[in-house]
Amino acid sequence: MAALRAFWNSPVGPKTTHFWGPVANWGFVTAGLVDTQKPPEMISGNMTAAMCVYSGLFMRFAWMVRPRNYLLLACHVSNEAVQLYQLSRWAKAQGYVY
Amino acid sequence: MAASKLQALWNHPAGPKTIHFWAPTFKWGISIANVADFAKPPEKISYPQQIAVTCTGLIWSRYSLVITPKNWNLFSVNVAMAGTGLYQLSRKIQQDYLSDVKEEAIKE
Repeated sequence: MAALRAFWNSPVGPKTTHFWGPVANWGFVTAGLVDTQKPPEMISGNMTAAMCVYSGLFMRFAWMVRPRNYLLLACHVSNEAVQLYQLSRWAKAQGYVY
Repeated sequence: MAASKLQALWNHPAGPKTIHFWAPTFKWGISIANVADFAKPPEKISYPQQIAVTCTGLIWSRYSLVITPKNWNLFSVNVAMAGTGLYQLSRKIQQDYLSDVKEEAIKE
């Protein structure tokens, strides 16, 4: 109960903008996971590579910003993993790696 | 004169030596990738991904205006994301749902 209240009133909690922006970014992770089930020909190399750099940078941003935003950090760590996986599927389908 | 202004910018706490600068700046890469993908056939567009791009763009466009200070760079990059996402979605919806209607009309 106390933990829930602490979360509710947190400076990065659901009453603040620091919460809902990162929630929106989880959409990328969800979309990425859904797309792992699709054939690799549908993967956009441009977008996936951009996402890998983007999430790499934002992991650092989430760590350094004040207040420190663990939700954003978790989101970008997850997205980095999904996007790197998709990039590897794309690279294999394109013949860049074996 | 100009040198000290440049120096002030260079040493700014959210300036080019920091992640506070590069992370939002690189977010433009997502919109640029999307624009590059305008040339791709709509079959290759992913609904989940473009919905995520559009929604993120819309939500962050609003939030960049309510944070202190207002962040116009963040605002503009997210407007671009929402715009390119919406365009990609419209291309795919047009092919999946609207051209079928046309084809059926032609068959009749």
